[in-house]
Amino acid sequence: MSSETNDKPVLVIPCSGIGKVHGLISREATYLVIDELAPGQTDTLCLGLLVKGDHEAVTAIKNQPCITIDGCPKACAEKNVQLAGGSVAKAVQVAESFKKHRGAKPGTATDLTEDGWAIARDVAQTAADEAVRIRGNKEVV
Amino acid sequence: MSVEITKVGIISCAGEAIPEGTISRLATRRVLESLRPDSTVTLCLPLFLAGNEGERNFAKTHPTIAIDGCPKQCARWGTEKHSGPVSGAIIVSEILGTAATGCSRSVRGVSKPDKEAVWVIAEYIAAEVDRVQTEENLAAAAETTTGAECACSAPVPGRKVVVAGKTVTIAGLQLIFQQCLDRVIPDNDSGSTALLEAVKIYHRIYPEEDEEYRQALLASYQEFCRERK
Repeated sequence: MSSETNDKPVLVIPCSGIGKVHGLISREATYLVIDELAPGQTDTLCLGLLVKGDHEAVTAIKNQPCITIDGCPKACAEKNVQLAGGSVAKAVQVAESFKKHRGAKPGTATDLTEDGWAIARDVAQTAADEAVRIRGNKEVV
Repeated sequence: MSVEITKVGIISCAGEAIPEGTISRLATRRVLESLRPDSTVTLCLPLFLAGNEGERNFAKTHPTIAIDGCPKQCARWGTEKHSGPVSGAIIVSEILGTAATGCSRSVRGVSKPDKEAVWVIAEYIAAEVDRVQTEENLAAAAETTTGAECACSAPVPGRKVVVAGKTVTIAGLQLIFQQCLDRVIPDNDSGSTALLEAVKIYHRIYPEEDEEYRQALLASYQEFCRERK
């Protein structure tokens, strides 16, 4: 990774798994990070585009720190970022946050309940804290 | 007679960077949950791309429709790379055009345009599922025909060709090819126009599809001729 890393936004890349609520939480947590919690310091890109080998996407993940958010332990976002040549600064697992919300009914792969949004916020906060740490609290110029 | 329903796989790009990715994801879910729950399953693109054999094998053995947010068609690309041609492909941005401009990437506080966009795409997907199933059922019926029935009600056996990466079953193509062979239509470029015209009599081909069908039919005809030598 280049020395300019610290001047670029941290890329937050979710798995967006379509079969379970965990995938939707990973996706919505990502939007919470880039839109609300660390808007000047983070960005996202399409995981599919990255895996397709799109030049711009591959260059981005090779030159910018990445945080992956995966719904399940299969860790598809983390694996795919690594396969594309990126280095993962932090791999966040949605399933880990479920442990703090025992008995929660998070919703479905289409809609989140209040419990689901609470879990998404937990996950997002973890990712945002890490992004801010990586960026040294600096906004992207 | 019982009819076995062929499950159709739907694989959505779910592109995180654009609203069309969210629309592709939500429309796919709507088809699965409400519009065609008994005949569809979804494949998880990240899992598929990460190398999951179960997902890849399903797409190899079942008809699969790719739903992509933009013309880069990552879902279709990934599916075709690992499992062969898709049976259908939908590009959300080409259907919605500027209608997706006001849509959101997040499902928080979805607006009316978001809901309408999802509905429109879901209807397109459902129609594509129906088309693919009809073709699959016709092909399956052709394969299982015993001959002990009235020819009037029996479906004409079909043959599959790959047109611009999409598998199309053309009813009666074997018979058309046999007719072309009897007419000594050559299985090279010089015979491709006659071949296309013969197929057009029985199968609807739009003028803008001519070239792609010409190539696909010629390739299939060459295979047919080889089988008969």
